[in-house]
Amino acid sequence: MSIIKSKELVHEYIRRDEEGNVESIQTALDHVNLNVEAGQFISILGHNGSGKSTFAKHINALLTPSEGTIWVDGMSTSDDEYTFAVRQTAGMVFQNPDNQIIASVVDEDVAFGPENIGVPTDEILERVERSLKMVGMYKYKNHSPNKLSGGQKQRVAIAGVMAMEPKCIILDEPTAMLDPDGRADVLRAVHTLNREKGITVILITHYMEEVVDSDYVFVMEKGKVFMEGTPREIFKDVKTLKEHSLDVPQVTLLADELRNAGLPIAECILTRKELIGELSKLNLKRISAQTGGMGGSFDKTNAKSADSKENVLILDHASYKYSPGTAYEVTALDDVSLTIKEGEFIGIIGHTGSGKSTLVQHLNGLIKATDGHIYYRGQDIYDKDYDIKELRTQVGMVFQYPEHQLFETTVFKDVQFGPKNQGLNEKEQIKRAYEALNLVKLPDEFYLASPFELSGGQKRRAAIAGVIAMKPAVLILDEPTAGLDPKGRDDILGLITDMHEKRGDTVILVSHSMEDVANYVDRIIVMDAGRPAFDGTPKEVFAHYKELEKMGLAAPQVTYVMNDLRDAGYDVDASATTVAEAKESIVNALMN
Amino acid sequence: MLREITLGQYYPAESVLHSLDPRVKLFSTLVFIITLFSANNAVLFAVVLVTLVGIIKLSHVPFSFMVKGLRSIVILLIIAGLFNLFLTPGRTLASFWIFSISDVGLKNAVLMTSRMIILIIGTSIMTLTTTPNQLTDGLEKSLGFLKKVGVPVHEISMMMSIALRFIPILIEETDKIMKAQMARGADFESGGLIKKAKNMVPLLVPLFVSAFRRANDLSYAMEARCYNGGEGRTKMRPLKYSSLDQRAYICIVTYIIVFYAVKVIL
Repeated sequence: MSIIKSKELVHEYIRRDEEGNVESIQTALDHVNLNVEAGQFISILGHNGSGKSTFAKHINALLTPSEGTIWVDGMSTSDDEYTFAVRQTAGMVFQNPDNQIIASVVDEDVAFGPENIGVPTDEILERVERSLKMVGMYKYKNHSPNKLSGGQKQRVAIAGVMAMEPKCIILDEPTAMLDPDGRADVLRAVHTLNREKGITVILITHYMEEVVDSDYVFVMEKGKVFMEGTPREIFKDVKTLKEHSLDVPQVTLLADELRNAGLPIAECILTRKELIGELSKLNLKRISAQTGGMGGSFDKTNAKSADSKENVLILDHASYKYSPGTAYEVTALDDVSLTIKEGEFIGIIGHTGSGKSTLVQHLNGLIKATDGHIYYRGQDIYDKDYDIKELRTQVGMVFQYPEHQLFETTVFKDVQFGPKNQGLNEKEQIKRAYEALNLVKLPDEFYLASPFELSGGQKRRAAIAGVIAMKPAVLILDEPTAGLDPKGRDDILGLITDMHEKRGDTVILVSHSMEDVANYVDRIIVMDAGRPAFDGTPKEVFAHYKELEKMGLAAPQVTYVMNDLRDAGYDVDASATTVAEAKESIVNALMN
Repeated sequence: MLREITLGQYYPAESVLHSLDPRVKLFSTLVFIITLFSANNAVLFAVVLVTLVGIIKLSHVPFSFMVKGLRSIVILLIIAGLFNLFLTPGRTLASFWIFSISDVGLKNAVLMTSRMIILIIGTSIMTLTTTPNQLTDGLEKSLGFLKKVGVPVHEISMMMSIALRFIPILIEETDKIMKAQMARGADFESGGLIKKAKNMVPLLVPLFVSAFRRANDLSYAMEARCYNGGEGRTKMRPLKYSSLDQRAYICIVTYIIVFYAVKVIL
């Protein structure tokens, strides 16, 4: 039975000027025909602006069609009579965990939906308990949402929807703002609902790994459904997906690369197990006594000899405590000593609360260590006569979601803000702003636009330009790709790599995406409980993938594949961290 | 830096006061304030004070925690006390330079400051033992009669509870934007008043933009969960008077009778 069905669905965002005349029409949905069977787990993929969120709002009757019809469980959403019935049938979870929790206590928030639809008191209590148990959040029922992690908040939001007893639940990028741990928890909860309660799930996402387990996938572009099928059918066509700059899971990508290299591997490999199965059919070299398991260990080719370089930043036994001397005392940094050299490209990883953000905020003096010293080019930044404002121009810091700090009337003026604070003259300010905007590759027609008119990715680039314009010698970026789609992410990471390679900037990248870090940086520092747990090249660090897992982190998928192969007795390089390295190692191990 | 501000000073504990209906607490606080200001002699004052001590004991909230709330208004208290002390005409007790202290002034100063202190401690017990949500619920129910004259009581209380939910988030956000702009060389501390106000623009604009974005998101989230105003809503924990509340009302009425009896007799 079909639960959601759309026929020639069109949605237009119409902008009107003050007199009510139509200024512009933007077609967000362009004749979408789509059918979802009850009980299925559906994924919708697509870029930002592809119309997938607009479609989600239609299922919930938050938006109504400009043309065409959409039926939810047989009810047309255009019919006002059904609005509340539709919303009750198809519940919705949004992207931002903070902006969808209404009450200040977890269980009161879950009760919000049932209260609105007039469920009797006793039954509300039952439903709240049941829903919270379903998502594993029952023991937090008396907590304040502010004290929960992002993943926990999203699970509360899911419970809030489940308490209304819907037949279908729509999740609009529920994991975009979460760390890997939170993402896994949320997905597990959603899969359980689908499997055990038979709830139809519609998951909108950028993350390809989340799609693999669904029954059916729709890929949207420019308001149209441009691909649909089972995950296997979709990921078969790696080339088309890449052309549309959509991601493919690393395992699928590796399988595809190997097939292109002429290896006889089946199409559309989705899981590690499948790939290992395929590879073990091949005649791969086994680990022998002679090779002693050293096989094909290739050192990082572009490893620069950083030893000769000057030390830029030194942390000397730095510690930081929040609210020291009170019951709420938290040690965020615990006796950290680190040296950062000129021209290094460093990745800092760690789960939420591991102290990675606190650490980087020390580097430009935004947080003052409660103990220990920090030296910038040999000078103690806590010296009385040290110019901390000058340090901040030397050590540039791009915060998480930097677009939230844009404030000026035009993009150009906003980028000028930093140089202006540096006390540079007007001419120099303009020059700096031009250079920075050029560097982030923002098209010049946007220079004089309001920053609030830009798209998400463009805003982020403008915000990064605002920091680069100060010409910092060290650039720190805290989760610069958070919430971006794959294309936006690749653009930003490419830009950062350019700056590092072409201008020789020292770059520190804080991230929880292991794949990003492995692909780009020279050195990784893993933070855990306020201390650097590992510090070395990506290979050295990811060799400890088992310990990383205990910290709630993980190595890139390919590292797991290579380790699995090695454990099965094949002579491949288990330290490969990128798809290219893995491919090379497997091809080398092939006996012909 | 902004983390230290605590709002909605609820102190979680198990006590009789914590489990009382918020309406009882609202009513008793009102009674307490009225009697405090009509206590015009030492005996009445003692009645009020003894009651307060009893309530403090019942609340299971450490006394030091209540005194903390006084710290922020110490200066106000001192200034008010000094004004009363020096500027009230009456029989001069002592004088030096241009100042003189009168008997009425001394009495007023002592009475005023102690009244203020008692007032603040008394009302803070209510906020310390009642969660912000219970408080808004209590207000909504107690002021329900105003609905008949067209006051949107439900909407106001909904706005209050949403505000309470988002204040900590916005404080955190302010902290974050402040740091981000400081990293771009912004200066929020130096300069005169006008310059300082001007320097706040890079903080306030993003903060407003973010507040509007959140409000927009939240309105979608509320609509998606079938919110449609106060009509036809049920409650998970409707306010219901228990036998404890009845006893509390009896205590309050007894207190009123005793207080006014003493007042009439003396």
